[in-house]
Amino acid sequence: MASIRLHNLTKRFGRVVAVNRLSLEIREGELITLLGPSGCGKTTTLRIIGGFEHPDGGEVFFGDRAVTGLPPEKRNTGIVFQNYALFPHLTVNENVAFGLDVRGISRMEINRQVAAILKKVQLTGLGGRYPHQLSGGQQQRTALARALVFNPTVLLLDEPLANLDAKLREEMRFYIRHLQREFGITTVYVTHDQAEAMVLADRIVVLRDGVLQQVGAPHEIYQRPQGAWVADFIGLSNFVKGMVVGSRDGHLMVQTPAGTFTATGTAASGEVLIVLRPESLHFQGQHPNRLAGVVRERAFLGNLLDYRIECGDNLLLRVQADPSRLYQPGERVEITFSPADAWTVAEAASQT
Amino acid sequence: MRRHWLILPVLLFLVVFLIIPYVNMVRMSFLVKPQGVPYINVFTLGNYAKVLSDGFYWAILRNTFWYAILTTAITLVMGYPLAYAIARAPNRRRPLLLMLLIAPLLVGVVVRSYGWLILLGRVGLVNEMLRYFRRGEVALMYNELGMIIGLVHVFMPFMALSIAGALQTISPDVERAARSLGASPWKAFWRVTWPLSLPGVFAGMLLVFVLSVSSYVIPILLGGNNVLVIPMLVVQLLLDAYNWPVGSALAMVFFGLTALLLWVYVKIMNRSLRWSVR
Repeated sequence: MASIRLHNLTKRFGRVVAVNRLSLEIREGELITLLGPSGCGKTTTLRIIGGFEHPDGGEVFFGDRAVTGLPPEKRNTGIVFQNYALFPHLTVNENVAFGLDVRGISRMEINRQVAAILKKVQLTGLGGRYPHQLSGGQQQRTALARALVFNPTVLLLDEPLANLDAKLREEMRFYIRHLQREFGITTVYVTHDQAEAMVLADRIVVLRDGVLQQVGAPHEIYQRPQGAWVADFIGLSNFVKGMVVGSRDGHLMVQTPAGTFTATGTAASGEVLIVLRPESLHFQGQHPNRLAGVVRERAFLGNLLDYRIECGDNLLLRVQADPSRLYQPGERVEITFSPADAWTVAEAASQT
Repeated sequence: MRRHWLILPVLLFLVVFLIIPYVNMVRMSFLVKPQGVPYINVFTLGNYAKVLSDGFYWAILRNTFWYAILTTAITLVMGYPLAYAIARAPNRRRPLLLMLLIAPLLVGVVVRSYGWLILLGRVGLVNEMLRYFRRGEVALMYNELGMIIGLVHVFMPFMALSIAGALQTISPDVERAARSLGASPWKAFWRVTWPLSLPGVFAGMLLVFVLSVSSYVIPILLGGNNVLVIPMLVVQLLLDAYNWPVGSALAMVFFGLTALLLWVYVKIMNRSLRWSVR
């Protein structure tokens, strides 16, 4: 068990900079997710930590130990790949035993430890099967068992749930979280699925084009995104363009074409974007920020109703409300929101 | 499916030009060979007795199998690293490498075998160089060595292609997984990559063995009169000695032994590849 420290990591492929001066500290026992769209450098970062790619610059530490130059087999890392990468010619038992076997541990001890971990991942009785005789979920748990059985220093997970069906994926999120806590192992989890990142992570690391955008707990990333790109990438957002015109009681006054609103944020002046999450806009309520609109579209999402509300020229707000009160298309409504839910980000960050 | 008749043209072709001649050869191998005529319609086991009791035939049989095994072994040892390099080459370079590997197949075996003359002949490039450095002369052609060089050269692509095909189906992540679990590159190869490439290795060995054991042109052109293999001997018996029954009997014995060998081989193969049975 150890912390992981990345210092100024840079990796280029030809002219593409896959990872750009990335620095990050992952605490002992922490689970962090590397989150970003494809091509953001998350898998490359994981491979550098695992020793499969050598960085062009920067260093990797496990605890106090610099591992930058070490080959994968000397790093003591457990890895689960997206396709599980089980050894198809070996049984479940042999797959799981592999890491112990190459460490020269006695046959008896191997059998004991393999049986113990298979019990933990609920695969007891399937030890004699080959990978192709297992279901997707069973293969995934075999891969986890294989990566954990030899007590690795860190655990690296590369989109391990991407190949499972939606329902199983949901269950496995909690299962992996539970397993990681139980082992107390420092874990780096790569994903492009933000729901997965939210459920699993102690902290989320948002990457874009190899550059770190934001590090923080899931609620921080969601409620207080640093920049328009993160706000747009994580969850659903309405953006309202405006100008900071003053401050009052620790809040910002932002003037927009739809009116002046009380908002929260760090930008003291200049052009900003107000980030409004669809579920923090309300049709009733006593919030100080108010604006009038007309219902244009309505969609039923089961637990929510998804409205598109036209509020003046060129401002279409998406509102998600509970279905207790139905509003008809064409109906006039008043939208309210609290200053705390109106988070401003600098407009300078380019939007995609 | 009522489309069986679609295979009729091919079936007819095979029956007329392959199966009937074969059946005829089997029949001939049991007929008596008098002086002057190829055979008469009298049943005998004498041809087989002659073939099986003659040490000369056994020696040639042994040599023929030995050359084929040697060729298979050499193409395996040389073809595996080649296949690995091709399978692990960047995606955009792989088609070119595969093309280069297959390119020699576009030139006929006869032409290529004559090509070796320029290199290996008494006044070929190699010997001229040896003479230049006053290292004497080596007989590289019209002997076993020349024939083996030719066989390895011609059948290498079959081995390398089979193995490269199998290697390409192995995810690089599987090798990475082995490394992360603590295996050195060497150990990861022998415990993971090699066993997973065995289907290709077995297929390549089978292909090269069958092709080289039945090879006729290369032994004649590069082995000259100093090498004799069963296919050459059968042709000599049929055409030169005009002894169709004994020639047929020898061909049948050769076929039987090859089939037996392949049967044992497939048994071993299936046992080693149990994991891949779905």
